[in-house]
Amino acid sequence: MPTPFRTTLWRVLLMQLVALMLLGLLQGRYNLVAAP
Amino acid sequence: MHWINWTIVAVYLTIVVVDGLRRTRGTTNIEGYFLANRSLPWWAVGLSVMATQLSAVTLIGTTGQGATDGLRFVQFYFGLPIAMVILGVTIVPFLHGAKVYTAYEFLEKRFDAKTRSLTSFLFLLSRGMSCGTIIAAPSVVLSAIFGWDITWCVALIGIPTVIYTVLGGVQAVTWADVKQMVIIVGALTAIVIALVVKMPVPIDDAFRMAGAAGRMRVFDFSFSLTETYTFWSGILGGTFLMLSYFGTDQSQVQRYLSAKSVDEARSSLLMSAYWKIPLQALILLIGVLVFLFYVSTPAPMLFNPRHDAVLMEKEPATYAALQTRYDVARTNRVTQSQRVVAARGNASAEAVEQVAFRDRQLSLDSVRNDALAAVARVTGESSRDVNYIMPRFVLDQLPLGFAGVFFAAVLAAAMSSIAAELNSLSTATVVDFYQRWFKREGSDAHFLFVSKASTAVWGVFACVVAVYAANLGSLIEVVNRFGSFFYGSILGVFVLAMIPRTNALGAFVGLLSGMGAVAAVSFGVPSVSFLWHNVIGAVVVVAVGTLLSVGGGTENSQGDSKLPGGQQTP
Repeated sequence: MPTPFRTTLWRVLLMQLVALMLLGLLQGRYNLVAAP
Repeated sequence: MHWINWTIVAVYLTIVVVDGLRRTRGTTNIEGYFLANRSLPWWAVGLSVMATQLSAVTLIGTTGQGATDGLRFVQFYFGLPIAMVILGVTIVPFLHGAKVYTAYEFLEKRFDAKTRSLTSFLFLLSRGMSCGTIIAAPSVVLSAIFGWDITWCVALIGIPTVIYTVLGGVQAVTWADVKQMVIIVGALTAIVIALVVKMPVPIDDAFRMAGAAGRMRVFDFSFSLTETYTFWSGILGGTFLMLSYFGTDQSQVQRYLSAKSVDEARSSLLMSAYWKIPLQALILLIGVLVFLFYVSTPAPMLFNPRHDAVLMEKEPATYAALQTRYDVARTNRVTQSQRVVAARGNASAEAVEQVAFRDRQLSLDSVRNDALAAVARVTGESSRDVNYIMPRFVLDQLPLGFAGVFFAAVLAAAMSSIAAELNSLSTATVVDFYQRWFKREGSDAHFLFVSKASTAVWGVFACVVAVYAANLGSLIEVVNRFGSFFYGSILGVFVLAMIPRTNALGAFVGLLSGMGAVAAVSFGVPSVSFLWHNVIGAVVVVAVGTLLSVGGGTENSQGDSKLPGGQQTP
């Protein structure tokens, strides 16, 4: 049975959230020096 | 470039063209030629959507931007998944269900012929020109890197693309896109692996330096209308831009109109929703890794070899002085990078060394900016040095074979975007103008011939614009600026189309008002970032269109379509 569209939407949003969190972790770990 | 690299490029070009020719079989009417008889699977359409949006500038320019500016450009794409989700439940079922060839055809079904013709004309005007610039951008880079005449570079990209697009139609475009995406992702993955392997310091230390140099700043939460890339402009402005692009631009709409069903069309868009941000982050990260690679490996002061040679020849004294300053700044940065690595584990020392590294980097950037300003003064053209960082890195630093794969990927990225543009330009020309206003009745063979001829004419036009792009610079800029006036406005018309009881007068006047409002903001407050133009345009169209429609009754509602395919008797 195909996945209901609403389930797919939640998956998309969840994946974006994970992507943003990973980018945030990258920034949090390495972007430690303020711009002048 | 080594002959093995050229062989890789030649094999790629041959496969794409031969496969395109193979796809000509079985196409007997324009539904087959423009929409593949609505038979394509979601994954092929999804890859085609991604390949169309990923142009050669993404590969050579965005990686360069990663090297000089870091990761923050990824914010530009934050609205994309949101837009795809919204389109999946709104415009996609409307357009796919209406069985139209072009997005603008739907507007005639809903409003009237003049709204359809105006929006389609605006599409032809802006995309016709931009197609030329899509060919021109990588051609200029190839020309400077290999020392060829620009006409040959345009021919290398343009001729194979025109051949397979004219002969194979959307089938050839889509299946070529699938192969092109595989080549592009393969090349990017190979380059990431090579960069990580070749990195002289542990990757964690390398990223600390990138952080100190400001390359690891992803999010900017400041609410500034003038800053181009912020979290908010990406989420809000980006959503409107992506809604306009994927929902109303024929070059994208035509991709998913060729899908088997509404569900397959939705799934094809959701592929971008899943993968666009990770892919774009990867492309920018490659740029950051190239930046880090050049921290310990000598890098040229100017990456554009042609500009480097011109500056050296025209102003040798200035060049020598800049080179001396650059060498000193670079040596200082190398020394400081070693101190950053040595300070690891001691938090307070590390903080001090990182600030010092940032300052060394700023000194180096300042020398490079002076060199770029000198180039601009001497050559009279913008340096665009950022576009040459990646090609030079691949040619100078990566093992044999990588350059071949990379340049095949650059050609693939350019060709996939151009092919989709040509295919959609031809569709709008034939369906929205030729068939709508000039010749309603005709045999399948006649319309198929006209469609192929129209694709060829647009292809030749795009190549001519590309060759003269340098001279047409100001004209192209005007057209691009004009294009930004109506991008959000066209989205507004489609939103109006989905609001009950809005009418044709509201849509037409709303469209003109939206464009006028964006033009006023663009000229009156030029500091407002272009991403906000789309929001302004769409909101004004919907507001004016709804107000004008109140009490005016409904014209041409969706159910009023008199003939199949949106063809109405005058």
